[in-house]
Amino acid sequence: MKNKNNKKEDISRKDALKKIASYGKYAAITAIGTYMILNPQKAQASSPGAPGVGF
Amino acid sequence: MKETTVLYKVLEDKTISWFQNKNEYAVLENTTAVILKKLNRGIPINKIAKKLSDKLDVPLEKSVDFILELERKFNKEKKSEKLEIATNYKDTKRPKDFEFVKYYKINNIVFKISFLSDKELSFVHPKFAHLIIEKVPDFKNEFEVFINNNYIFLYINNEFIGSWDNSNIHYFQGKFSMELIQKIHQKEENDWLGVFHASAISNGEKSMLFLGDSGNGKSTSLALLQANGFTCLADDFVPVDAKKQEVYSFPAAISIKKSSLETLLSIYPELENSAEYNFRRLNKIVRYLKPNNNDFFAHLPCHDLVFIKFSKNVELTCKKISKIDAFQQLIPDSWLSPKKENAQRFLDWFEGLNCYQLTYSNNEEMIETVTRIFSNDL
Repeated sequence: MKNKNNKKEDISRKDALKKIASYGKYAAITAIGTYMILNPQKAQASSPGAPGVGF
Repeated sequence: MKETTVLYKVLEDKTISWFQNKNEYAVLENTTAVILKKLNRGIPINKIAKKLSDKLDVPLEKSVDFILELERKFNKEKKSEKLEIATNYKDTKRPKDFEFVKYYKINNIVFKISFLSDKELSFVHPKFAHLIIEKVPDFKNEFEVFINNNYIFLYINNEFIGSWDNSNIHYFQGKFSMELIQKIHQKEENDWLGVFHASAISNGEKSMLFLGDSGNGKSTSLALLQANGFTCLADDFVPVDAKKQEVYSFPAAISIKKSSLETLLSIYPELENSAEYNFRRLNKIVRYLKPNNNDFFAHLPCHDLVFIKFSKNVELTCKKISKIDAFQQLIPDSWLSPKKENAQRFLDWFEGLNCYQLTYSNNEEMIETVTRIFSNDL
C-alpha cells in the first residue's frame, strides 16, 4: 500500500523500479491502495509571517 | 467493528473521508472507501475480501492483507496527541503592572488589552493599530498578554486561556485572533466551521477567498481589489461559521511585503510613512495597511476559492481546477472544527464551491477577472 502523505518521499529510480516490479503483479490492488492523508492544523494559527519573531 | 466515526463525500472520481478520532481527512479511491464503509458496518473481513478478489482478480490472501492494512491505518490507529499546552504554568502569577495598556474599538465593542512589555506588544499590536482609541472607562473585554518563564500567556476577563512557548508563537496569535472573533461575532469555538489561511474580499453580496503559498500575492491582490470597489473582509485569518458557512470579517490590517510596495504606493501613499516591521528570522519586511471595511460584523456567503499567483511577465490565465487538487492544498493550511456536524457541513460546503487557479502579472486584468468570477461570467 502506498501512502502519499503530505510530505513527498524521494526514492531512487532503482528503488522505484524494484517497488513497481513487486506491485506490478497486483496493480489493481496497488491502484486502489493509493491515498492521500490530510491533517488540518491542530489549532488556529496565524501565518508564520505575523508580527513578532519569538522571544 | 466500528471504532471511529467516519464521514464520506464522493467528489469527482474520489471519495473524501473524515475520521473523527484524529480529525483527519483522506482522499481515497471509491472502492477503498466502500471497503472502509463495510468494515465500519461490521461486515466480516473475509466476506469483503472475497468480493474484492473477484472484482480485481487477485488472490484472496492479497485482498485480506490489503483490508487488514486499511483497517490498521484508518480504524485502529490511536488518537493523535493534542497540541501541548503548558498546564503546569496555569498557576503562574499574573503581573500587576503592564507597560502598555491599549484600547481597541471594533465596531461598538471596546477591548482593553494589556501587554507586559514592548515584546508582547510586538506580537499583537501592529495588526490592530488602526483600531486604537483613547482610554475609555467602559470596555467589554479585557485581555492580558505577558511572557513568564519563556512562555507567553493569554488571559481573557481573568480566565486563563493558554500559554505557548517560543516556537509556538503563531498558535498564540491564532488563539488570540480566535478569541477576538468569538467576542466580536458572539460565537463559541464550536460555532465555527474553520479558519482558513487566505485573504477574503466581498462585493457587498458575497465573498471570495484567495489562497496560495506565502509570497504568491494574496495580500497584494487583496490590497489592489479593495482600491477597486471591493471590500476587504479578512487577511491571513479567515473565519467561516458552521451554521450558514459564511465568511466572517476579521479586523486585522493587511500585511504588505516590501516587494509589493512599489505596486501599491501610488494607490496607498500612506504606506510610504507607515511603520516597517523587519522579521529577520523570516527574512521578511512588512508594513500594515488598514482594511477598507467599516463593518466588522459583516459576514457573507462564499462560493468561490481562487488559488492566486502573481508571476512577472505572464499572460493571465484563470481556469477551474479539480476540487480534489484544491482540497489537497486547502486542508494542511487550515484549522477545521473537530466536531462531527461541522466536518459534515464543511464537506457539503466544499462540494458546492468553484475552485479556480488564477495566474497574472497585469493588475487590471486580475481585477477584471475577479469581477467576472463574482458575476459568474467567466
